[in-house]
Amino acid sequence: MNDHARWEDFAGAYVLGAMATDEREAFEAHLATCETCREEVDELRPAAQALPMASPSLQPPAALKDRIMVEVEREAALLASTGAGADRPAPARRERRSWLSGWRLAPVAAALLVAGVLAGALLTAPDSTTYPFDRAGAELEVDGDKATLVAERLPPPPEDRVYEVWVMPKGSDTPQPTDVLFTPRGDGSAEAAIPGSVDDIQQVLVTDEPREGSDEPTGELLMAADLS
Amino acid sequence: MGLDLRSLADEDVMQLVRRGDARAFEVIYERHSGAAFSLAYRMMGSRSGAEDVTQDAFLSMWRSGARYDRARGSVRTWVLGIVHHRAIDALRRATVHDRRRAGDDGIEERFEARERTDVEAARREEAGTVRGALSSLPADQSQVIELAYFGGFTHTEIAEMLDAPVGTVKGRMRLGLKKMRAQLGEGQVAV
Repeated sequence: MNDHARWEDFAGAYVLGAMATDEREAFEAHLATCETCREEVDELRPAAQALPMASPSLQPPAALKDRIMVEVEREAALLASTGAGADRPAPARRERRSWLSGWRLAPVAAALLVAGVLAGALLTAPDSTTYPFDRAGAELEVDGDKATLVAERLPPPPEDRVYEVWVMPKGSDTPQPTDVLFTPRGDGSAEAAIPGSVDDIQQVLVTDEPREGSDEPTGELLMAADLS
Repeated sequence: MGLDLRSLADEDVMQLVRRGDARAFEVIYERHSGAAFSLAYRMMGSRSGAEDVTQDAFLSMWRSGARYDRARGSVRTWVLGIVHHRAIDALRRATVHDRRRAGDDGIEERFEARERTDVEAARREEAGTVRGALSSLPADQSQVIELAYFGGFTHTEIAEMLDAPVGTVKGRMRLGLKKMRAQLGEGQVAV
């Protein structure tokens, strides 16, 4: 009926997060069709979810909150200025980017999909191909028709600016803006998902732009990767 | 503007976070950052690693607040689930060399981080219950659960480290969690 025999003892490993990404995805596909496994996962999950309480309790440093809130407030201001809140209509200036609309994740993510959001997808992508950027430590990981920018040692953008990702459609020489704006972490690392299908694009570029992003490149080219 | 965010339940505060309300997000941070940081520290074994994971996790929550679904559990469970996921990502991004080292001799040391601060009595009691449930398991079961959940190792990595069959490791995880679940009982620990 289904492949239950293959998966019947995986529920514990699954709720503990002890599966490699591809294996976990295969198990989740099985879960969708197997009530027995779903019931066992539901039974075991509360035990796994209680485990954090076994950790010694620590107080995070105040500086951590400051760093997080600076970013949150910056993005909240950006949201307010672009009207990207859940109850507000989509801003007119972004409407021409209709090819992005199916990709938008959530009101907040819509304005900024920044470093690390999709890091989970990067772990083990057995069938992925990588294309280097013309800058050391940066590459584009392509899995299926989805690409993710993965970089280390990026310099911070100039003051009051962020990095914006652009895509060059096949057969075009005009870079198209994406909604992907990011700032590298303190150690210069960054990940960002490239919206849309890579099958349609020939190049991915990154420039520095004003915080709200640009519709046409205005800043310096940080790096570019050819997909061919 | 007159609305006292701190008097609202988490689920209601999340409604505001979803609309991009930074003050509402700050309330969520204040309520859950201690538990988040504690879990991150236990997993990463260093203050800087824990800070990176906590920061990544909270910023991703801020940016994906709409994905919180109250039907699937409390805000705290959601927060800790994201922290756990992020810490696993970070641990697995570490080089093979680093992970082997952790597997050989780093684990015990990492698990001994203790730096207690005051938390409210109820949580302390819950923590005691969970620790009790974990420590009442046979050592071979609690070991695989801790290596998996806090160490971020996969069941195949653990099997290799312990020189045990993969099926045995998975079986110990299942059995141990089943026993823990029975001990925690219904409703004794809010998860």
